[in-house]
This record gives sequence, C-alpha cells and structure tokens, in this order.
Amino acid sequence: MSDIDIKRISYLAKLKLPSEKEEFYSNSLKDIIKWVDNLKKVDTSKTEPLHNVTEKTVSIRNDEVSKSNSVNDVLSNAPERAQNFFKVPKVVE
Amino acid sequence: MSNNWEMVIGLEVHAQLKTSSKLFSSSPNQFGSEPNENVNFIDSGMPGMLPVMNFGCIEMAIKTGYALNFKINKYSVFERKNYFYPDLPQGYQISQFEFPILSEGYINIDSGDNQKKIRIERAHLEQDAGKSIHDIDPKYSFIDLNRVGTPLLEIVSYPDLSSADEVINYMSSLRQLLMYIDVCDGNMQEGSLRADVNLSVRKKGQELGTRCEIKNLNSFKFIKQAIEYEFQRQINIIDGGGEIEQNTMLFDTSTGETRAMRSKEFSHDYRYFPDPDLLPVNLSQEQIDKIKPLVGELPQDKLNKYLDNYSLDKDIAKIIIAEKQNANLFEKMISESTVKPKFIAAWLVGDIFAFIKENNLEVNSLNDKTKDITDLLKLISDDVISNKAGKEILPKVLNGEGKPSELVKELGLEQVSDSGELEKIIDEALVGEEENILKFQGGSDRVLGYFVGKCLKATKGKGNPKLINKILLEKLKK
Repeated sequence: MSDIDIKRISYLAKLKLPSEKEEFYSNSLKDIIKWVDNLKKVDTSKTEPLHNVTEKTVSIRNDEVSKSNSVNDVLSNAPERAQNFFKVPKVVE
Repeated sequence: MSNNWEMVIGLEVHAQLKTSSKLFSSSPNQFGSEPNENVNFIDSGMPGMLPVMNFGCIEMAIKTGYALNFKINKYSVFERKNYFYPDLPQGYQISQFEFPILSEGYINIDSGDNQKKIRIERAHLEQDAGKSIHDIDPKYSFIDLNRVGTPLLEIVSYPDLSSADEVINYMSSLRQLLMYIDVCDGNMQEGSLRADVNLSVRKKGQELGTRCEIKNLNSFKFIKQAIEYEFQRQINIIDGGGEIEQNTMLFDTSTGETRAMRSKEFSHDYRYFPDPDLLPVNLSQEQIDKIKPLVGELPQDKLNKYLDNYSLDKDIAKIIIAEKQNANLFEKMISESTVKPKFIAAWLVGDIFAFIKENNLEVNSLNDKTKDITDLLKLISDDVISNKAGKEILPKVLNGEGKPSELVKELGLEQVSDSGELEKIIDEALVGEEENILKFQGGSDRVLGYFVGKCLKATKGKGNPKLINKILLEKLKK
C-alpha cells in the first residue's frame, strides 16, 4: 500500500489538522484502507461493473422551465449577501 | 529559429446547449438575467435535493453525435468530479468520465488548400459552474449562480492540430456545425462556446513533448494569441536548456501572455465516482434513430448542393453556407422566384450583405423581405432596369420604402428596351460621325465604346446597354 499524504488529504477535505495529530490520522486511514482492501481478494475479472443496484435507467423529464422559488429564498441561507449576490471571502486565481 | 519546431495541439471545447431548462433542474437556462434569478434549490446545492435528467440535453447530444460522426453510446454514466470553489455549491460537478455519451468522432477542416481529418476522442454532458466576480470588493468575491447547472457538451479532440490556423478552422467548423443543428447559439462573447488548448512542442519528427493546458479561451483572437505566445514560451525554455513542466495556464488578455495557475499541485485530484443520485443512461436504438431526421442538412451537404445544382462559384457558396441563417435566406429567395440562383447569390454576398453590415443588422431580419428582393432581382435580370439602377433601389427596398416596381417608376429608372425608340436615338447619334464609322469599319473596336457611351448619354443613362450594343453593331457593320 502506498503511503498516505495526510497534508494533501486534509487540504482536499478542507480540514485543518494540528501537526501532532497527523501521524494518528495517517495510521487510522491506513487501517481503514487495509480493511477495505479485503475486497481485492474477490476475483472480479469476469464481472461487469455495477453502477447502481437498481437496474433501471435514469429518470428523465422534458425540457420545460418551472420556477419554484424566489431570489430571496435562495439567498436566505447565504452567510452574507450584497444586493442579490452571495458574498464570500475572496477566492481568486 | 522556430523553424525546426512544431506544435501539437488538442482542444477541449465546451459548448453550452441551448435548452430551455438546465441539465438537472427546471430553472431557466438563460444568459443575462438578474443575479441569482435562475437558481433553485438543486442548483444552489441544498441538501436533499435530487437532480432529474433533462431529456432535451440527451437529444442535443445525439444530434451532435450524428453531425460530428460520433459513435453514439446507448449506455453512459454520470459521475461526480469533486473540487471546491465558491461558484460550485454542490462541491462537485456532475460530468461523465468513464462512459461518455459520444465517442470516436471526427470532422474535416480546411488546412491550406487541402482537407484534414481531425479525430475527436469523446464528447460528454456536464454541468457548468456559476460565476465569481472579484472586482467589486477588495476583500470579497460576489457569486452569481445563474449559470450553475447549464448543460455543457465538452468535445475533446485528439492532438491532431498543428497550427493556430488549424485550431481556428477546427473551432469555427465546430461552431458552424453546432449552430446548424441548433444545439448551441455559438455566441463566444457570452461564453456559449469556449476552448481549453492543450499544447506541446517538439522538434519535427520527434516524440511528443510535455504539454500545458491553457484554460478558458473565448474568442478566436485570444486562441490565436495564446497559442503563438505559448509555442514561443515552450521553445525558449527548451532552447535555454530547461524542461517543460506540465501546467495549467491562464491567458492574460491584457498582456497577451500565458502564466501558470498557482494551485496547480492540486488541480488534478478530482476523485471521480458514479453519482449515486443518478442512474445510468440507457438509450434504446429506437430513441437514437428517432433523432436522426432532426439533424437536417449540414454545411457540407449544402455546399455540394450549391455547387452541383445551382452552379455557384465555390467562394460564393462558402460565404453563404458559413452561417445557417445565410443559407436559409438564400434558399427562401430561390424557392420564391424564378431568378437564377447564381444571380441571386451574387447579389446576396455583394450588395445585400454589404447593406446588412453597414446597418448592423441580423441576416434573419431580411426574412420577411425576400419577395421584394427577388422581385427587384427579376427586374434586373430581365433588363427592365439596369444593374446600376438596381443598386440604387436595393437599399430602399431593404429599408421597406416601397415595392420595387413602384420605386422604379417613382425614380424614373425604367430602362428603355424598346428597340424602335433606341434605333431612333442611335440613328441621331450617328449623324455627323462618318469619320468614326469608317475607323470602326477599319478595325478600331475602341470606337464602339465611344458610340455606346454617346447613345447612353442621349437616353440619360436609361437605355438598355445590351440592346444598344446589339443595334449599334448591326448598323455599323452595314
């Protein structure tokens, strides 16, 4: 099993890890992966991948517009708003 | 210096599909609305909301499949592409990864005097993200989610392109096709069609180099500039003894330069997995077949028809097929009149397009004037009025100032085609011209022009020049 880059994982998960906890979480994650790796014992070379347990097709709708809410509804959970925009800490590339 | 180098380019083109509603929600798919006007709880990523597939998007993808020679896959799967950005409230983009709806297509593009086949690896459906506005406030970004969930078809070519011109030709052919089959409005300024350019360089005949991806180019001009700059940048690095780093680049439109994005080290950790909220798409052959007739005539079909059936010149035919609305206008005029298509075509790409350009009009806006236009063209081709008079009346007809026949009368532009009347005028013009007549009979053709001019002047420009010519010749040869 390849090593775990715990800094990268915490970045992707947007979680701040104190450096003294890094080893602990790294080991916990390794244990989890080891356990999941048990699945590799099953020979799936002749099995089609299953993308969903129900064998139905995606449900579809016709291309029609309906409006179910107002701008205010959508913005009511915004941490901050400015006019009709969501206002968030600057994230810019 | 850069002579030994060549560029290898693959393109990822994002085309916004012109459906009424979004890919997985019934919010309006509309550009230019008030901020956050077209957003419902699915689009804003509220917990517990479930996406429902818009079949209109599948139909448009299948049409594209036919137009771009794709294999249309009956089975395709939506997956989650995970990344964090404030204008992506779900925290993931729903896209297709392992099983796209279209695979292995191609189109032919112009390359110099030849045609070149550009292979297309795949095309898949996915959601567009929202828009962040960074320049209103120094500390905050403002987010408009209207664009969230807009259906995109991402069309991924193989690295078959080898110059900026080829890329432009490929991109404009794609744009033309998508507009012909009515799945994308092609408006690059509004972002309906945008390209990511993957470019690497190599010495001619050598192996592929490391590539860089230039993101989000939305005009032909920027695409060309970005390619030329990036080509030279990579050559300079290698010539200077360096190595190309695989990077995602941004193009700065104000400086014309490319630069690497800062967060590059994390840019490709998307952790794709099948979206548990969406079952796989299973299409029947019948569903696919039913869409084929909706594709209609493609530009190449029209070009062949114009050359073979209407004997147009290739250059003129190409101008007409460039946009579907041109072709529609042209074909409407043909169907409504007995004037020769070739004659109509010449006037269309000449004076009519010039008028449209001068007045900043849409080609479509002339659709209700085709009868008047062809009536006028008929007067010209039947020699009732001269070419010159036609040019004078055309703008008035296009402006809706009157019917062609009325305008001709009003302005007194009717051509004199009565041979008796013309004969009289010609006889008068020849009086006292014995010397010139002898010159003509002695072989001087230039004198003929002089006589035609004199007669035309006598008719105040209204004499039918062809007829004058004919009668003159008969008389002079006697």
